[in-house]
Amino acid sequence: MFNVRRRTAVTVTAVVAACVAAGLAVTLTAGNGQAGDRDYIGGGTSAWLYAAGHRPVAPDFSGTTLTGSHLSFSSYKGKAVVLNFWGSWCGPCRGEAPTLAVLSQKYAKDGVSFIGDDVQDTPTNALAFARSTGIKYPSLNDPGYQVAQDFGQAVVINETPTTVVIDPAGRVAGVIYGTASYGVLNTMLRDVVKT
Amino acid sequence: MTARWAWRQITSMRTALILLFLLALASVPGSILPQEGADPASVQQYFAQHPALAPWLNRLGLFNVFASPWFAAIYLLLFVSLVGCVVPRTFRLAGSTRTPPPKAPRFLSRLPHSASFTSSLPPAEAADAAAAVLGGHGFRLRRPGASDSGSWVSAEKGYLREAGNLLFHLALLGVLISIGLGGIFGYKADKLLVEGQGFADTVSALDEFHPGRLATGSDLAPFDITLKKFSASYLTSGQDRGQPSKFNASLSYTASPGAARQSYDLQVNHPLSVDGVKVYLIGHGYAPVFRVTDARGKTVYDQATPFIPASTSSMLSDGVVKAPSAAPVQLGFMGVFVPTAEAPGGTLSSAFPAPRNPAVSLIGYTGNLGLDSGQPQSVYQLDTTAMSKVPGSPHLLFPGQTWKLPHGQGSVTFTGYKQWVSLSMNYDPGQVPALVCGMLALAGLLLSFLIRRRRMFVRAVAADSGPGSIVTVGGLARTDASGGFAEEFAELAAELAGPDPPGDPPEASLAAGAGPRPGGQTETGA
Repeated sequence: MFNVRRRTAVTVTAVVAACVAAGLAVTLTAGNGQAGDRDYIGGGTSAWLYAAGHRPVAPDFSGTTLTGSHLSFSSYKGKAVVLNFWGSWCGPCRGEAPTLAVLSQKYAKDGVSFIGDDVQDTPTNALAFARSTGIKYPSLNDPGYQVAQDFGQAVVINETPTTVVIDPAGRVAGVIYGTASYGVLNTMLRDVVKT
Repeated sequence: MTARWAWRQITSMRTALILLFLLALASVPGSILPQEGADPASVQQYFAQHPALAPWLNRLGLFNVFASPWFAAIYLLLFVSLVGCVVPRTFRLAGSTRTPPPKAPRFLSRLPHSASFTSSLPPAEAADAAAAVLGGHGFRLRRPGASDSGSWVSAEKGYLREAGNLLFHLALLGVLISIGLGGIFGYKADKLLVEGQGFADTVSALDEFHPGRLATGSDLAPFDITLKKFSASYLTSGQDRGQPSKFNASLSYTASPGAARQSYDLQVNHPLSVDGVKVYLIGHGYAPVFRVTDARGKTVYDQATPFIPASTSSMLSDGVVKAPSAAPVQLGFMGVFVPTAEAPGGTLSSAFPAPRNPAVSLIGYTGNLGLDSGQPQSVYQLDTTAMSKVPGSPHLLFPGQTWKLPHGQGSVTFTGYKQWVSLSMNYDPGQVPALVCGMLALAGLLLSFLIRRRRMFVRAVAADSGPGSIVTVGGLARTDASGGFAEEFAELAAELAGPDPPGDPPEASLAAGAGPRPGGQTETGA
């Protein structure tokens, strides 16, 4: 059927075509590794700052705290709020807890309120966590991530922990994904308190 | 020259068929080996069972076949092949529908099918009458132009055959595009849910999230799902004893915040469809509930803790308990849960997957869990490098029993158990288009099989005597694989002859294959 030269040409063409297609394929199928790997990026942190005028409005969230009282974001009107998503099972949350404990007291006089949102957890575990890490501010009992969903498109809560800084106008001024370091959160808070 | 030749090879029917076959062949490992997207736990199990082979299979992308570059390479080549084939053919079809049928040949009796009869009408009127009949049958007509001589009609029918053929190819392209669309804009996610727990569909709530190339966390549908109860039935006798016969996960869900709460019984192969997302039941297990108190007597842990089955036939499962808030030292436990405890040789094993006699065996550890450093840890693994084993480990517990750790270091109570399910959320925007395209492909295939392209020619010449004429009819089916044109021709010829000629029946000489076939008239298929 084919002579030798032609057969070689078939092979060469096939190989070249396959390579081109494979190259395209790699580009197209390389998933957007964004969130898939997130669980395993050790202590990786990224922080986002929103310039005034570009700050998304924080949703009105509410729920029951770990100690059983009602908490609603709307009752914090006119105050800067730090909302921290955490769980007692989460290593980075334990790592950042002392920072949050210290900063919550440091900025109390400036009218900054800290609220925790305890996800995928039980109140027993969470209250033991708060006791052992010296955290005094209230946390919502949110095992099903409802508050994270409330934030929806405004700010995607990608992981635990995530810390959202909300300015006194009720707008998101900054978000820290992963462990909140003293330096970054302190800078965000200084900025929010000033305005 | 070589490039043109290569292009011809790629766009040839043969190449397309080989690629289609390869695509089918390439899907085989996807159904034999566990897949990352569908069942990551089984993939990990496979890695554990085949430590030498698994990494190589993984390098070849065999645990994620449908997202692997070589799989994509095949369908991209197929895509190119189809486009290269369809585009020129579309132009050719468009051209051929604009081109009128050829002029009637001079000697119609030489065509594969022919007939002749006498008409009482003069030639021009006889041809007009024939044109009216053929036009009424939906033939496309051509009549003699100003420069043509004679009275004749050329008629052609069956353009839909090629259109159907093209529709088939285009629909195949559509299927490929739909699959690609699903990969680009869709996502897959997994979530483990214990009875009584719920979750809102957000990235942080998901255990695994695999977005397509252009999908992000903000594309997640705003539903929430709560697992009310899970039940499994197992065969209790026969050689398949212990095999599951039915799983049922009783769910309640809302499609969006504030929407009405609905119930759904989720079963294997009976997914829940919410907000365009399909939710599948892909796994289940036990979550023993532990209460841990520390040396000070404070309860520091009280939670249903998901254990991962090491064997699905016995449901012997393992997991860990971490009590980082215990003071003065942190406590940790490695445990094995068995639903039906049985210890013939002293080694705890499970005789049946249903919870008939549940028990846990715990190994206790005290020291530093390593969580305070802020490093993320798997909730299914215990880092014991900075911990020491509690004397008396392992310790067997039945529901309600408490193990008091020595030296007053605390206690752990096995208070009971719950069950968990593993859910797989799958959003594939290409599913509906793929279905529609599949149906169109079928329709196109049917059209191209059932419709024939055929031509009819009629010529009328003045009779030797009198005002009438002799009319010759010729027929040619360009593709007649399924046969049947002979009958159609005979019927048309009879209708053209009309009922009138008294005592002079049309001498239909159906000479199929008798005359020499005109060259260059055969159509190349597909």
